[in-house]
Amino acid sequence: MAAITLIEAVNAAMAYELEHDKDVVLFGEDVGKNGGVFRATDGLQKKYGSDRVIDSPLAESMIAGLAVGMAAQGMKPIAEMQFMGFIFPAVDQIFCHAARMRHRTRGRLTLPMVIRAPYGGGIHAPEHHSESTEALFAHIPGLKVVIPSNPSRAYGLMLAAIRDPDPVIFLEPKRVYRIVKHEVEDNGEEYPLEACFVDREGSDITLISWGAMMHETLQAAEKLAAEGIDAEVIDVATISPIDMDTILESVQKTGRVCIVQEAPKSGSVGSEIAAEIAEKAILSLLAPIGRVSGYDTVMPYYRLEKQYMPTVDRILDEARKIMEYK
Amino acid sequence: MKQFNLPDLGEGLPDAEIVRWLVKEGDEVTVDQPMVEMETAKAVVEVPSPFAGRISKLHGKEGDVIDVGAVLVTFGEVGEVAEEAPEPAPVTETTNDETPSQASAPAAGSDTFLLPDLGEGLPDAEIVRWLVKEGDTVTVDQPMVEMETAKAVVEVPSPFAGKVSKLYGQAGDVIEVGAPLVEFGGTGGSSSGESKAAAPAKEEAGEEKRADSGTVVGAVEVGNHVVAETANAVVKALAKKLKVDLTKVKGSGKDGAITQKDVREAAKSGATASTTTAELPQQTAGVDTSNPLAYKASPAVRALARKLGVDLGDCNPTGRKGSITRDDVEQASKGGSSAPRQSQPAMSAQQAKGLPAVSVEVQPEKVRGVRRAMAMGMANSHATVVPTSLVEDADITAWPKGTDSLARYVRAIVTAAKQVPAMNAWFDGENFERLLHPNVNVGIAVDSPDGLYVPVVHNADRMDMAGVRARVQELREKIETKSLKQDDQQNATITLSNFGSIAGRYGTPVVSPPQVAILGTGRFRNELKLTDKGITNAKMLPLSLTFDHRACTGGEAARFLAAVIEDLQLAR
Repeated sequence: MAAITLIEAVNAAMAYELEHDKDVVLFGEDVGKNGGVFRATDGLQKKYGSDRVIDSPLAESMIAGLAVGMAAQGMKPIAEMQFMGFIFPAVDQIFCHAARMRHRTRGRLTLPMVIRAPYGGGIHAPEHHSESTEALFAHIPGLKVVIPSNPSRAYGLMLAAIRDPDPVIFLEPKRVYRIVKHEVEDNGEEYPLEACFVDREGSDITLISWGAMMHETLQAAEKLAAEGIDAEVIDVATISPIDMDTILESVQKTGRVCIVQEAPKSGSVGSEIAAEIAEKAILSLLAPIGRVSGYDTVMPYYRLEKQYMPTVDRILDEARKIMEYK
Repeated sequence: MKQFNLPDLGEGLPDAEIVRWLVKEGDEVTVDQPMVEMETAKAVVEVPSPFAGRISKLHGKEGDVIDVGAVLVTFGEVGEVAEEAPEPAPVTETTNDETPSQASAPAAGSDTFLLPDLGEGLPDAEIVRWLVKEGDTVTVDQPMVEMETAKAVVEVPSPFAGKVSKLYGQAGDVIEVGAPLVEFGGTGGSSSGESKAAAPAKEEAGEEKRADSGTVVGAVEVGNHVVAETANAVVKALAKKLKVDLTKVKGSGKDGAITQKDVREAAKSGATASTTTAELPQQTAGVDTSNPLAYKASPAVRALARKLGVDLGDCNPTGRKGSITRDDVEQASKGGSSAPRQSQPAMSAQQAKGLPAVSVEVQPEKVRGVRRAMAMGMANSHATVVPTSLVEDADITAWPKGTDSLARYVRAIVTAAKQVPAMNAWFDGENFERLLHPNVNVGIAVDSPDGLYVPVVHNADRMDMAGVRARVQELREKIETKSLKQDDQQNATITLSNFGSIAGRYGTPVVSPPQVAILGTGRFRNELKLTDKGITNAKMLPLSLTFDHRACTGGEAARFLAAVIEDLQLAR
């Protein structure tokens, strides 16, 4: 077992499936010879050949369309969008074709495809490299949207995403590509999709997050513990469809909720979770639901990105406010 | 010799293309003299010279793309070019002398850290700022230097723990990927106590570190912090998804730990949890009242409970799925929880004032709402009004079948009130004021499970009987749906009590101040009556009129009653 980073885990999972499933192919801009701008596909072309690990032209709509076509013909394509900010030309293919094929063919055709994209801020990149637009995809029926928060989950969820019969948007929080390592056994064991992971059990307040913000959230939970506040921390992981059972059960236990996300507040995944809680567990709420999120503005240039992104202190402030609510 | 590096030409663009050189090697230039036209993604810009002097070398030719921060022009004597141009990392030899203790170190296990690939296969990066100095002891992952690539500023962490013996280059220098960046001096590894990575990393330093740092478009933080996945969380999540009861699964993992495989197999073999997971434990008697979540209540109800100082534990939940409603809280606040009380002591404390407790099962209830209003109103009446009652029968034999009796009563009161305005009046016994009403607003006493309501048919004198009936019907419905408004119950000038619709021949209705009169209608009956024509069967309606003798004379009351009878005895 080797200790690997999140990006290495993504690489390992794709390598495992390339090795064990001849239908798996991988393509995108610079994924072959260069090994991907973040090195997610490092060494894969060398090992599996340029027939299966393909450098594509710089044309995202084509990349997504190619994935749709390949998947419709029984292959299992993994397409990379170099950055989440570049995914928009591909949205027509993703929304209008990938998401709908099962429905359009009344279940006769499913698309076992994965679209990977690094997303999120915190690496001093230009603004369109740094935004968190996961809610756009979570809103579209027919897509699963998965965000791993650590190397183990990147490995297990990527395997599940590749093996899933339907299109999965796999968003990689690039800020945490390399900040922690996990001992991951490269045994091909997948993690469940559509399941929240309870990373810390607690009884006073439920902190809900996903992706890179899980790291701030877990740190906040540690600090709250020092103040005598016992926080439960949930990694949503699959943000669409959301495993609300786990969240509701936690809310019914704690009565207090704080949702932490990097994305702007309005119309976000956090809004959806808050609405579900209000709908199904309002009788258990002891305080208004709190949300710590980015602001309703364009992700700023990097000098200000630390002001934009939720910090441990912001989470602590909100959590304390919720705890003090009478 | 001076170097001029390509400055940021605006908007943070990473590079620019040389369009045309405006000078050539060997030229003397003055400050601000344009040297080159550069094309960025946005515009063509003339780049002026920052120095006066002789140009020894132009780095790049027309069409070349120069990264921001890369060397563009070297100033100085032509002969110097060969020395500095190919090696962009000047080696500052003198620094070794500053740390004499390390003079002998290099041979004894010194280690050189080469600049790793920082992004997109870019060939080099510029030193922005050193974060350590020679002689410093660093730990694994401690940032040593900020390097600027074409895309971003990146902190480069130390791959080793140890003592820095030499830094290659200074701020502004461009270092090629793979060129030496930092040298570590011999004994370092163990002294810091973070020897973890030192030894094994050494041999593969070049290759492994390169792969690990990978590439960055932006400042991706790099850490070697190893944490474990909470495998438990994954297994629990899977169990929940597959509805497997973990307590019934036998673990096959290390130390009997349950693995994902165990859960999947259990799901296949049908060891599913019987309960639906998201169900709140049912509320039971004797719950821990210190936990507010023991009770189901909406935030608004909880707020109300706090405002009224009611403990949710004292409320009797009547809402959906055992939830506590606003009514339950209000009930508890008035002490009238409909649940039998458990606490005898609390009751006995009240005994001196309240009703004596009878048993645990049957307890006094608080009188509230309409019933309470009635009690207060009656007491007020009894304390002020001087009531006098007058009874008489009206012969309603002439009424056709299906006559609307209530509407007839109202019409009779209106007619009589017009004849004797003193009975359709308000009286203030304290200030001795009397108000004779020009209009007739008839209050109608209505019995309900909640208590006595007296809704008002306003301006009954301007309505026909159908209108009266419609209004009465409307008021009754409002009472049933509890939507009776304050307006519907105010400003009666005289009242009708139709107790006879249930039972009772005569009564002594109670005047409701400031009104001065109330007419009671009893249950009508058949009566053999001696008339001029002999014995006839008459249908008799008993009437009971109570008036406030402070405000009205007996004569006024009698005339009023006569007028009522006269109207009632009309056929229609």
